[in-house]
Amino acid sequence: MNVPTDNILEIDSIEVVYDNVISALHDVSLTVPRGKVVALLGGNGAGKSTTLKAISTMLASEKGKVTKGTITYDGTPVKGQTPAEMVGLGMVQVLEGRRCFGHLTVEENIIAGAYSRRLSKAEMRNELEKIYGYFNRLRDKRKSQAGYTSGGEQQMVAVARAMMAKPRMLLLDEPSMGLAPQLVAEIFRIVTELNQNEGVSILLAEQNTNVALRNADYGYIIETGHVMLHGTAESLLNDDSVRDLYLGISKEGRKNFRDVLRQESAVHPDLHHG
Amino acid sequence: MTEFLFFIEVVVAGLLAGTMYSLVALGFVLIYKASSTFNFAQGAMVFFAVLAFVGFMELGLPFVVAFFVTILLMGLVGFCTERLVLKPLRTQSEDTLLMATIGLGFVLEGLAQATWGVEVRRLDLGIGDFPIQWIIDSTGLFISALDLTAGFVAAFLIIALALLFKYTKMGLGLRAVADDPGAASSIGIPLGNIMLLVWTAAGIVALVAGMMWGARAGVQFALVDLALKALPVLIIGGFSSIPGAIIGGLIIGATEKVLEVYVGPYFGGAIEGWAPYVMAILFLLWRPEGLFGEKIIRRV
Repeated sequence: MNVPTDNILEIDSIEVVYDNVISALHDVSLTVPRGKVVALLGGNGAGKSTTLKAISTMLASEKGKVTKGTITYDGTPVKGQTPAEMVGLGMVQVLEGRRCFGHLTVEENIIAGAYSRRLSKAEMRNELEKIYGYFNRLRDKRKSQAGYTSGGEQQMVAVARAMMAKPRMLLLDEPSMGLAPQLVAEIFRIVTELNQNEGVSILLAEQNTNVALRNADYGYIIETGHVMLHGTAESLLNDDSVRDLYLGISKEGRKNFRDVLRQESAVHPDLHHG
Repeated sequence: MTEFLFFIEVVVAGLLAGTMYSLVALGFVLIYKASSTFNFAQGAMVFFAVLAFVGFMELGLPFVVAFFVTILLMGLVGFCTERLVLKPLRTQSEDTLLMATIGLGFVLEGLAQATWGVEVRRLDLGIGDFPIQWIIDSTGLFISALDLTAGFVAAFLIIALALLFKYTKMGLGLRAVADDPGAASSIGIPLGNIMLLVWTAAGIVALVAGMMWGARAGVQFALVDLALKALPVLIIGGFSSIPGAIIGGLIIGATEKVLEVYVGPYFGGAIEGWAPYVMAILFLLWRPEGLFGEKIIRRV
């Protein structure tokens, strides 16, 4: 069973239903190659967060269920595990909206990230130093109550906290949300460093298509619970329909992806329609 | 001078009685912090714990053994509560949980009485409810030995719990869950274990409070209502604050005694029973989050 493949994560046509009636994902398949950054793109309500929560098993606490298809993480089928068990397997999700522990200090937040690991005091110090090496800004703020730090700092706390669990796979849900462009750039720079230096594979849900594709290896575009288009980050960045719809450089008014696909006759060789 | 000494006596007795309110309030705070639910079963837990303790003593277990067996039993109650009540309701609203704790209260009361009977028991801790001679000799104050012991025990428990939350891994986990259970579970903090810890701690607190009150008033059903005195304590101190529970308990204890002695006669006495609730209402008007309640931190 547990044959390691080149893909750390394989999702095969999953369907997700909330509360037994509301269907959120219809047919989503994607793969994350080991050590790569994959972007999951789409607008509000497209199903990005739902996809991530299906993978981290956080769905269960929101009455959501994977009703069809399979998720395989590093050779292990994801089915019925608790989020804590997934963290134990090396998969950590950074939830949308940062979700810091507001009344804890920045450092306590980061230490809480290592809850699943047994670390001695000295090991903890080392790990913290390593994390502060990536997130310089947090070193000065470490005694501040997290709830009173800026949005960018809170996002960094959330990512730093997740990294303390020593994940092999990180799920990032809209790290750019509500942040100034310089901060978005800083966070993506750190995420890229973490990917390259720590070897952590990353699945990244974003509305900010431009930034996400510039920092990813591969991209998937989903709309109303379906994968519409996927391809290498480069090919998506250069694709006319993507530029039209998601990069805001369209000459005409905004369209729906379905319409674009219908109009398109020639298919780009690197792109695969979902 | 004797007037003043008498006033001091009243205040000290009030403060010492207040530590007991603090202790019960602490039980509420623990559970409120972890699950944002007011645990209406806390009073029943006080009754359940001390009745079981007295029951074990009557079966012939020595004091210390009975004490630890009861703690184990409260751990078991916590475990069953987590598995049978909280876990199935985890995705439900806080109101649902509140209703569930009311139900849990009835179950615990019934279970305790069905097992051990309904008559009032005497609990002798070997500490008399009399003034201590050397304190009378040195200061002229009449302070009850039981009050003083209860004060010290409560203070000890409170300090121990505060240290536990501030400096241990479990404590950090609890504070994380208190802030954001979803985020806590996303980084691998097992919610079930934290709940178990909290309910067991609340059970121990309930046992100790029940023993102190039971030693004075007898182990009886009225303990359930006495525990509700923690409500005004929490309103004054703040629902989510451990220091708040302590200070709130002391304030209620001292003021209710002072009011009873100096204002009570004008109302025909026995205002202890309702004065704290009036204070709580006034407090709600002035500072709804309580003295130490954590203000909701919200960036705009």
